Amino acid sequence: MAKTSSLKRAGYLCTGLVAAALMGLAAAPVQAQTAGGDLVVVQSSNPPSLDAMVTSSQASRNITMNIYEPLFGFSEDIRPIPILAESVEISEDGTSYRIPLREGVKFHNGDEMTAEDVKASLERYQEHGATQSMLEPIASIEVTGPLEVTLTLKEPTPTFLEAFASPRAPAVIIPEEEAAKAPNEISFIGTGPYKFVEYVPDSHVKLERFDEYSADTDHEGIDGFGGKKTAYLDTVTFRVIPEPGAAVAALETGEVHLLEQLPVPTARRLASNDDIEIYENMPWAFMTFIFNMKEAPSDNPKFREAVQIALNNEEIMAIATEGLFNLYHGWMYEGSTYDAGDVGKEYYNVADTERAKALLEEAGYNNEEFSILTDSTIPEHGKAGVVIGEQLKAIGINAVINQVDWPTALKIRLQDEGWNGWTLMMGIEPYLGPAALISALTGEAAHFRDSDEELDALYQELISTDSEEGRKAVFEKIQKRMYEFFGIIKVGETGLMQASRANVEGFKPFRFPRVYDVWLEQN
Amino acid sequence: MTVEEAAETPEALEREVARARRRGIVRFFGRLAAHRSFRVGFALFFLIVLTAVFADLIAPYEPNKNNYRSLLAPPSMKHWFGTDGYGRDILSRVIHGTRISLGIGISVVVMTGVFGVFLGMLAGYVRWLDNLLMRVMDGLMAFPGVLLAIALAAALGPSALNAVIALTVTFTPRTARIVRSSVLVIRALPYVEAAVAVGAGHGRIIFRYILVNALSPLIVQLTFVFAVSILAEAILSFLGVGPPPPAPSLGNIIAEGRTYLQEAGWIAFFPGIAIAAAVLGLNLMGDGLRDVTDPQLRQGREAG
Amino acid sequence: MISFLVRRLLSAIPVLIVVSLVSFIIIAIVPGDVTAELAGSDSTEAQRAEIRERLGLDRPMIEQAVRWYGRLLSGDLGQSYLLNMSVTDAVLERLPVTLSLAGIALVLAIVLGVLLGIVSAIRHDSWLDQGSMSLALFGLSVPDFWFALILISVFSVGLGWFPTGGYVPLSESLFGWARSMTLPALALAITQMGVVARMTRSSMLEVMSQDYIRTARAKGMRSHTIIFKHALRNALVPIVTVVGVMTGVLLGGAVVIEQVFSLPGVGRLIIGAIQRRDYPIIQGGLLITAATFVFVNILVDLAYGWLDPRVRDDR
Repeated sequence: MAKTSSLKRAGYLCTGLVAAALMGLAAAPVQAQTAGGDLVVVQSSNPPSLDAMVTSSQASRNITMNIYEPLFGFSEDIRPIPILAESVEISEDGTSYRIPLREGVKFHNGDEMTAEDVKASLERYQEHGATQSMLEPIASIEVTGPLEVTLTLKEPTPTFLEAFASPRAPAVIIPEEEAAKAPNEISFIGTGPYKFVEYVPDSHVKLERFDEYSADTDHEGIDGFGGKKTAYLDTVTFRVIPEPGAAVAALETGEVHLLEQLPVPTARRLASNDDIEIYENMPWAFMTFIFNMKEAPSDNPKFREAVQIALNNEEIMAIATEGLFNLYHGWMYEGSTYDAGDVGKEYYNVADTERAKALLEEAGYNNEEFSILTDSTIPEHGKAGVVIGEQLKAIGINAVINQVDWPTALKIRLQDEGWNGWTLMMGIEPYLGPAALISALTGEAAHFRDSDEELDALYQELISTDSEEGRKAVFEKIQKRMYEFFGIIKVGETGLMQASRANVEGFKPFRFPRVYDVWLEQN
Repeated sequence: MTVEEAAETPEALEREVARARRRGIVRFFGRLAAHRSFRVGFALFFLIVLTAVFADLIAPYEPNKNNYRSLLAPPSMKHWFGTDGYGRDILSRVIHGTRISLGIGISVVVMTGVFGVFLGMLAGYVRWLDNLLMRVMDGLMAFPGVLLAIALAAALGPSALNAVIALTVTFTPRTARIVRSSVLVIRALPYVEAAVAVGAGHGRIIFRYILVNALSPLIVQLTFVFAVSILAEAILSFLGVGPPPPAPSLGNIIAEGRTYLQEAGWIAFFPGIAIAAAVLGLNLMGDGLRDVTDPQLRQGREAG
Repeated sequence: MISFLVRRLLSAIPVLIVVSLVSFIIIAIVPGDVTAELAGSDSTEAQRAEIRERLGLDRPMIEQAVRWYGRLLSGDLGQSYLLNMSVTDAVLERLPVTLSLAGIALVLAIVLGVLLGIVSAIRHDSWLDQGSMSLALFGLSVPDFWFALILISVFSVGLGWFPTGGYVPLSESLFGWARSMTLPALALAITQMGVVARMTRSSMLEVMSQDYIRTARAKGMRSHTIIFKHALRNALVPIVTVVGVMTGVLLGGAVVIEQVFSLPGVGRLIIGAIQRRDYPIIQGGLLITAATFVFVNILVDLAYGWLDPRVRDDR
C-alpha cells in the first residue's frame, strides 16, 4: 500500500481556530448580524479586468475575490487551505495530487460545479493566467471522478500547493463553457458569496448577494481567503473615486461606507470622528528600489553599494508613506517564519554621506546620469522616487527623475536601457513568502534585468528543499546574498490605512476587502 | 487718402508709410499708457515677472528641499504659505513655480507666434495652399478646448518641453487663422495693391506691409495665448502630464495639495492664487491692447 | 437652407479625417501598449506577444490604420481592449454625462454672464459695474479645476450641501442628478461666465448708444422697457455667435472637471484610455468628441443663419 500524505480539512480547522483566537474573534461577544442594505466600498482605480485569472491587479482582486473562489487559498496565517477543494492527497513521490471537490457548490448561473469545470478552468489558467508559473509544474490535469481531479506534476515540487493557493492572480473556478472563452470575454460567473451585476467603468461595479451560495461548513467563520463565508448585504457597490480627497469627503458625509485606502494624515484627522472607524493594515508591502544591472552607472556593484549607504531610509519612508511605516532590513517581515535576523542590518538606513562619496569614487563614478524610473499612479512610488533623487543629488550623483504613468513604467523597466533605478512596492510577494518574493528576482525576467547567478542557484535550492527548517537556512543565505550584490534595496515596510463608517460591522482588514461576513448596523 | 496720392514712386510711398507708422506708434503707446486696465494689468504682470526672474533671491528656502520633520505644517512665520507632504516650503515653491509657468507660457507664445505667422501667411499668400492648410487647422480645432493638448502631452510623456509642444499644436491653428484673415484684408488694401502695382517684390510686400500690419491683432491674440497657456500648463501638470516632479510647477503643487484639501488646504490654495494673478494681469493687458489697436471697438467704447 | 446644411455637413468630412489622422499619430507616439495592463506586471514576453498578436498590435501601423478605416466605413469603431464592450457603446454610455455637464455649464454661463453684463451696462461706471466686471475678470482668470477644489472644500466638505463627486443618472433621480451636477457645472461655467458678461456689457453699451435707443428714450419710453425690449435683444445676437466656441471650450474643460468630481464622462474615458493604452477607445473617443463638437457648430451656424439671413447668403 502506497503511503500517502494527506492534508485533510480537519487539520486545517485547527489552524483556523488558532487564527481566529489570535485575532480575538473567539472571545468577542456574539453580535446580532443584520441582513440587507447596500455597502458602498471605494477604491481609487478601475479594475482592469473582472476576469480574475488574467490579471494580478489589486484593483481587480479587491472585487473578484468576492465573486470567485479557487480550489485552494491562504488561511489567515498564510498556509494553503482547501476552499472549493474538499481536501488533497499527495502521493508519496510527490508528483500526484488527488483533489476531491466540495459537493453541491453552485455557480451563479445555477449550475452545479463539477470536475469538468475545474479541469477547464485550470487549463484556461495554463493558457491565459497572469501568474502562469504557478501551474508550470503540472504535467496533466485529469478528471478522476464526477467531483475529483488529479494533477500530475512533472517532478516533485514541495512548494507547489503554496504557489497554487496564491491570490496574486488566483486560479479561480468558472463554468466550463466560460472557460472556453478568450481573456476578458467571459461572463463573470463564479461560486462566491456575491454575484456580479454590472460594471460601469469609471463609476462602479455592483455585486448582489448570491442566495444559493454553498458555504464551507467545515469552518466556524471566515479564515483568510476561505472559511465559512456568509453574505449579509443585499448588494455591494465598489465605487471608483480617483481623488482621495473626494473619497474621504464622501465617507465623512456617509455617502460611502468603506475606503479601501486613504491618506495617512486624513486617517489621523478622522481618528477622533465617532462616525468613522480607522483600520491600520500593517504591514502591507515592501517599498523597494530596484537597480538596472545592465546600464551604467548602476551596472557597477560598488556604485549600488554607494547608493545603499547613502540612503536615509527613514526620510524616504516618512515622506512616501506619510508616516505609516516600519524600518526593517530583513527580506521577510520581522518575526515571520522566514525572518533571517540581523543578516545585512549593518547596511540598512546608514545615511553616511562621506562613506557613500568614498564608495562612489572607488566605483569610478564620473557624473553619468542616474535615471530614476517612477510613476504617479501609485503616490508612494512617486514620492519615494523624488526623495531618493534628492538624497542622491546630495552625494553628487547626477540623479534625474523620470516620472511616468504605471503602464509606461512597466514597459520601460522591461528594457535593458533607459533606466537605472525603479521604485516598486511589493505587496503580495512578501506576503506569499520567500519563493514568491525571490522568483521575481531571478531567471530570465529578473527585476534587475541581469540575473545574479548565485541568487538563482539559491532560489533553486529554496524551492526544492522539502522541509521548512531547510528552507529557513536557505533563506538566510539569500538575505546575505542580497546585501552583497545590492541589486535591490529594501527601503522599508509600509502599511495601508483603511476606514469605514462606524455602522459597518464585522469588517477585518485583509489582502482584499472581504465584503462577506460584513453587515450594516441599522440605526 | 494721402498714402494713395503720394504713391507716385515706391520710395515716396514707403517714406509716407513709414512716417504714418511712426506717428501711429507714438499715439499707440500714449493710448496704452492712459488705459486704466492695461496699467493695472501691466503692474501686476510686471510684479510676477520680477518674482520669476529673481526667484532664487526671493525664495526663503530651496523649492525642492525635503524636511520630513515638518510635513504639512500650516502657514506660520517660518513658512508663510505652510509646507507640503514632503515638508517643502510652499512659498518658495510658488515663487519658483511662477518661473516655470511664465517660462512655458512665453515658449508657447514664441512658438505659436512663429508657426502661426508662418502658416497664416502661407495660407493667406499662397492661394493654392490655403484650402489644404485651413482644413488641417480646422481639424486641429475640432478637438474641443484643451483636449488635444492633454492627449498629446499624455502621449509624448510628462516634460516641460512636451507640454510646450502640445500647447503649441493646440494654439497655433487659431493664431494662423487670425494672421491669415488679416493677410487677406491687408492684401486688398489700396496702398498694398498700389505697392504690388508699382512692382514691389514678394519679400518686401510680406515684410514691409503685410506682417507689420498683421502685427496688432497678432499681439492681442498672443497675449491671450500667454494667459491661456499658463492656465493650460496648470491643467497638464494637475493631470500629471506636465513638467515631472519634483519641479514646482503651479499645477503640480495644486495636484499634490488636492489630497489634503481638508488637512492642509494651503498647499492647493496659494498656487491657485498665483495662477489667477498672472492670468489676470495678462487678460487686463490684452484688454488694453485690444481696445487701443482695434479702432472699431474703440469707437464703440468712446461712443458709450 | 437645405443646401447650406448639406454644404456644412460635407465640410465636416475633411475635418473629421484630420481628427482621425491626429488620433493615429497620438497612439503612434504613445510608449508602451496595453499588454502589460492586460497580462499583469510580471507577465512574460511570450504572454505579451500572444496578446499583441490577438489584438493585431504586431501589424504595421499602416495596416492597422487601413483596417480601422475599413471598419469605420461600416460604422464600426471596434472593441475596447479593456472594457469588455464596443467603443461605440463605451462612448455613447458616457456622452450624456459630458454633454449634460457642458450643457448645464453653458446655460449657467449664459444666464449668469448676461445678468452680470446687464447690471454693469445699466449701472455703467458705478461700483456695481466695477464689481460685476471684477467678478467676470476673476472668472476669466482662475483655473477652473482649482475653483472646483475650492467649491468642494466649501460646499461639499465644509457645508455638506453637495456630494463631493460621483454621478447620479437622471433616470435614477432628478434631484440626485441635479445635486451631482451643480458644483461641476458651476466650476466649469465660471470662465465662460466671465466671457459672456464682458460681451454682454460691451454690446449693450454699444446698442444703448445707438440712435433708435436714444430716440426711444427721448420719446419717454420707460428705461427697463428699452433695456429688455431693444437693447438686450440686440446685444444677445453676438453671444449666439460664440456659443459654438464656448461649447468647445466647455467640452474640453469638462475633461478636467470630470477628473476632479470623478464623473464618468467621455473625457475621463479618453484620458484613462491613454494611460492604459486602450487604443480603440482613444481613437473612437476623440473622433466622436470632435464630431459632436463639429455638429454643435453646424447647429449654431444654422441657428445664426436663421436669425440673420445675411450670414447664410455670405457662404
